[in-house]
Amino acid sequence: MAAYIMKRFVLMVVTVLIIATLTFFLMNLLPGSPLNEERTTNESVQQNLEAHFNLDEPLIVQYVLYLKSIATFDFGPSIKQPTETVNSLLGRGFPISAELGIWTILTAVVSGITLGVFAALRHNGIIDYIAMTIAVLGISVPNFVLATMLIQELAVNRGIFPAATWNSPAHMVLPILALATGPMAIIARLTRSSMLETLTQDYIKTARAKGLSPVKVIVKHALKNALMPVVTILGTLMAGILTGTFVIEKIFAIPGMGKYFVQSINQRDYPVIMGTTVFYSVFLVFMLFLVDIAYGLLDPRIKLHEKGDG
Amino acid sequence: MKKWLTVLLGVLLVVVLAACTADENAGEEDGGNDSEESSGDDTSTLRLNNGVEPTSLDPPIGFDAASWNVLNNLMEGMTRLNEEHEPEEATAENIEVSEDGTEYTFTIRDDAKWSNGDDVTAENFEFAWKRLLNPETASSAAFLGYFIEGGEEFNNGDGSEDDVMVEAVDEKELQVTLTSPTNYFLNIISNPAFFPINQDVAGEDEEWYSEADSFVGNGPFALAEWEHDNNMVLEKNEEYWDADTVELEEVHFAMVDDSNTEYQMYDSGELDNSEIPSDMADELLDSEEVTIDEQAGNSFYRFNVEEEPFQNEKIRKAFAMAVNQEDIVEYVTRMGEEPAYGFVSPGFNDANGNDFREENGNLVEFDAEEAKQLLEEGMEEEGYDELPEVTLSYNTDDTNKSIAEAIQEMYSENLDVDVSLENTEWNVFLEDQKALEHQLSRSSFLADYADPINFLESFTSDSSMNRTGWSNEEYDDLIAQAKEETDDEQRFEHMYEAEKILFDEMPIFPVHFYNQVFLQKDNVDGIVRHPVGYLELKWATKE
Repeated sequence: MAAYIMKRFVLMVVTVLIIATLTFFLMNLLPGSPLNEERTTNESVQQNLEAHFNLDEPLIVQYVLYLKSIATFDFGPSIKQPTETVNSLLGRGFPISAELGIWTILTAVVSGITLGVFAALRHNGIIDYIAMTIAVLGISVPNFVLATMLIQELAVNRGIFPAATWNSPAHMVLPILALATGPMAIIARLTRSSMLETLTQDYIKTARAKGLSPVKVIVKHALKNALMPVVTILGTLMAGILTGTFVIEKIFAIPGMGKYFVQSINQRDYPVIMGTTVFYSVFLVFMLFLVDIAYGLLDPRIKLHEKGDG
Repeated sequence: MKKWLTVLLGVLLVVVLAACTADENAGEEDGGNDSEESSGDDTSTLRLNNGVEPTSLDPPIGFDAASWNVLNNLMEGMTRLNEEHEPEEATAENIEVSEDGTEYTFTIRDDAKWSNGDDVTAENFEFAWKRLLNPETASSAAFLGYFIEGGEEFNNGDGSEDDVMVEAVDEKELQVTLTSPTNYFLNIISNPAFFPINQDVAGEDEEWYSEADSFVGNGPFALAEWEHDNNMVLEKNEEYWDADTVELEEVHFAMVDDSNTEYQMYDSGELDNSEIPSDMADELLDSEEVTIDEQAGNSFYRFNVEEEPFQNEKIRKAFAMAVNQEDIVEYVTRMGEEPAYGFVSPGFNDANGNDFREENGNLVEFDAEEAKQLLEEGMEEEGYDELPEVTLSYNTDDTNKSIAEAIQEMYSENLDVDVSLENTEWNVFLEDQKALEHQLSRSSFLADYADPINFLESFTSDSSMNRTGWSNEEYDDLIAQAKEETDDEQRFEHMYEAEKILFDEMPIFPVHFYNQVFLQKDNVDGIVRHPVGYLELKWATKE
């Protein structure tokens, strides 16, 4: 186990390094520069700016400076907001995005599994149909459409929740709903189908025959096994939620990280592009790593160390 | 169909809500630490949206509207633009100009104070202006200080700080020498780049401008709270010399970057001001809550005179005259803009008090017949049997696209020419435009300071704003003369002449002037939006 984790860890570092290098060179291949402006620009003013941000150095020197910044995790000042450092942007954006993300995942997982289990138990019944209709709608309606409808209905027309910004728990409800609905739907459908399959297995019959209570049979025996596909997809969903937050954060004016990520690319704000990309990739690679470990915990048949040897 | 959808979605919502009530409630209890819900419906609190976080509140660094909106209300320079957008004495009580127009003596008023109680001194200004010009500061606004003797040399590394002719004679008197008489100098220094800096504060905390706690200003408002990227709270500054005039107690700036969301917040009463989402222009523009202010700048198209077929003046004119600006503002952009028939926007008075735009008249006007005629003549001059293919380029954006399509249609109808459209991402577009790789491309201009010369200097041969390949010696001379001229009447003559040359040769054609359109609640009054892009709340009221 320890050896496997070690191996995976080294692979993680290599992956991040490759991503970082690719990002750096792709970014520099993009036409334009962070100092590109439509307005009249003065030559000496431009030169001072270039010198200030090391953009007058040869590319290879910039690359070395950049590797150094990754190693020390200090990305320097943003070019478009010169009095802010990338670290401070990340430092205040990430906790907010994380808060939004965690609540979204929790909401999606809990409500998705609940819906899926009830649908499976009342297979082909009215609850099943309602649950699956919700799931199909949830998958089909993009989160930004849902977001606008939620704002219009619950904020503007009824005034139950505030329309946007991120100042109190009430402000969090609509964005979490908008963001969680899609993943919830996917989880509900997955849970339902794998639950249906599990419920026909022999060991479930045995458990029932032993006289265990129905709740115990479902939660302890059936659900635990039915969740494997859900865990598998959780890593991907996490990535989906991460990218979903870009749009939702914009619509709800949430001061999270997503904005910096998207904006920095459009503005060619090199340090911010690099900072956010490295940060996101570390985060994602780490999440996938956790999912792998979670497999082993849920299903002892998957032996982590054998994977490496085989 | 619609009803059916609504019902279904309603069901979906109810179930989803029910399904995750447990979570939501848990969330509310856990995260309920900072639930300082809006501090009531205080009538003296104005709620605005700044769109985005200010680039910086360090005066020479925050060189854009998002920063100015806030800075202009937190601080004050020697002059301040009044309700008519003219500069007036502000921190300076008295301004004397020498006979030849190059020497300025500013006397700072005795009651000018910083928000921490310190006196505003001439040294604060000397420090700030030299810092603006210091190459190490890397300010994008530094070029505005080139009007000061020694400024350009210091900024480009040829000169030293000591050679910059800004000097604090004593505590309250500042002397400045300009390179040439610049009648609009008092206007330029109303720009936040010229705001003073309290060097005692800056000495203690180099990043005094980055948090509310450390920010020290000298304007009508003081910075009370700043949650980065989320909101800002400005409070009336009791130390301000003219605090009696300021009626608002508080101003809240949200930072909502989505115009639909902004409008929804306005609609639900969370904001007092909002932009109009473009797809709602028809519905909202006639409402009584709309305010329209001018903005010094315009949307225009550039020809590339080095690229066929636009090396020919008559063909350029044909393409310019075939565009019906009035139709574009009426049916395409629909935000109440003024169609543009010249480059300098309205609102600049010459020595005789006449408006520049009215005085110089319409220099290009829609005339389908003449356009067609000119096209034929031009083709004959060039020996074309068939016009070379023309591509119209714009950067990807909904409004740009609509305008481009309208122009395409006008060319097809009025000139019988089919142009193709091409759109690229903003940075790619700019690179291509600067490299003269377009034939005909969408452009825009926003003035850095309020004088027609700022518009017209864009098209001198060596200007980085030219981007047309067009060069005219007479034009360059006229602009240079206008910059040197002391006599305002003569100065305007040069500029009138220059603009006429520009349109005689037509390397560009204008589409419309910009404006600032806002929805504003009935009980709000006195917000001034200057054409050069800053927001003024000193005289704002809310009932």
